[in-house]
Amino acid sequence: MSAKNMEKVEQATNRKNISLPMSRVRLIMKSSPDVSCINQDALFLTTKATELFVQHLALSSYKNGSGKETNTLSYSDLANAAEESETFQFLTDILPKKILAREYLKSLEEMEKDADNL
Amino acid sequence: MDGDSSTTDTTQLGITGEYMTGGTYVLQTQDDDGDESFNDHEDGNGSKDYFREQDIYLPIANVARIMKNAIPQTGKVISGNFKIILILCIKCVQECVSEFISFITSEASERCHQEKRKTINGEDILFAMSTLGFDMYVEPLKLYLQKFREAMKGEKGINPVAVSEGLGEELTDDSFTGQLPAGLITADGQQQNVMVYTTSYQQIPGVQQIQFS
Repeated sequence: MSAKNMEKVEQATNRKNISLPMSRVRLIMKSSPDVSCINQDALFLTTKATELFVQHLALSSYKNGSGKETNTLSYSDLANAAEESETFQFLTDILPKKILAREYLKSLEEMEKDADNL
Repeated sequence: MDGDSSTTDTTQLGITGEYMTGGTYVLQTQDDDGDESFNDHEDGNGSKDYFREQDIYLPIANVARIMKNAIPQTGKVISGNFKIILILCIKCVQECVSEFISFITSEASERCHQEKRKTINGEDILFAMSTLGFDMYVEPLKLYLQKFREAMKGEKGINPVAVSEGLGEELTDDSFTGQLPAGLITADGQQQNVMVYTTSYQQIPGVQQIQFS
């Protein structure tokens, strides 16, 4: 691309107001089974929706999270949002809740005890 | 479960490995060298050459910037109190994003198939979002699409395909124009100042911002 075109593209980028690479979004879309063609509107809408989704997820998790006093967003906030919000239910496999190892071991022991008692 | 993220008690922060996931899922951090390659989980031995569907992510810098701009001015995005784990939190959102895109796309694709069409169009995407519980995005998206079309029409003498390819470039070091100081408290209790680099986030005047309750 010539320098002049590059400049116009840059201006265009600012006007079009997106901050994620559409080419990468297209790649992810095409990795879905049975997807053949994606028109430009669809690609733009998906890219823009993804931005909104990130904002939505970050803000929801932050607001419902325990870090508001300390102004932080932590992983547990994300995991809680996935579990508690219907909208983010599809993320529960990706954002599992973390538990302390000692609690996990404790619950394992209890399960074994129950099994022995049978 | 201790949800207090400001603790400096190392045993609770998981450095010594006391945190464990409840299922078989294990979060890996050592693979990441900050490289924005397509295949973030590439085997160190180089034995994997194919892209698995779940491995394609949007660049971490872009995702981080959007998250940072979403939460209130003084907020910061961390997991635990460590800079290293900051990346982990953002990587999780990266994965969520890929999942979201696949989620919407497969729904839209299914509808296309049912109607015997080959090309996924804008309507399919919007309908998919409505169906999957993201109908709050639909109206703002329609407005953004309108602006996008107008902006594209204004590009005279440029191949529209080339323009769309150039949009939303991955962030490089040169793109960072603004700096925000951000404070982080590390495990030993010392406050550390970290510069957070951002580019200016464009807001379209007149498009109502979505209120996420």
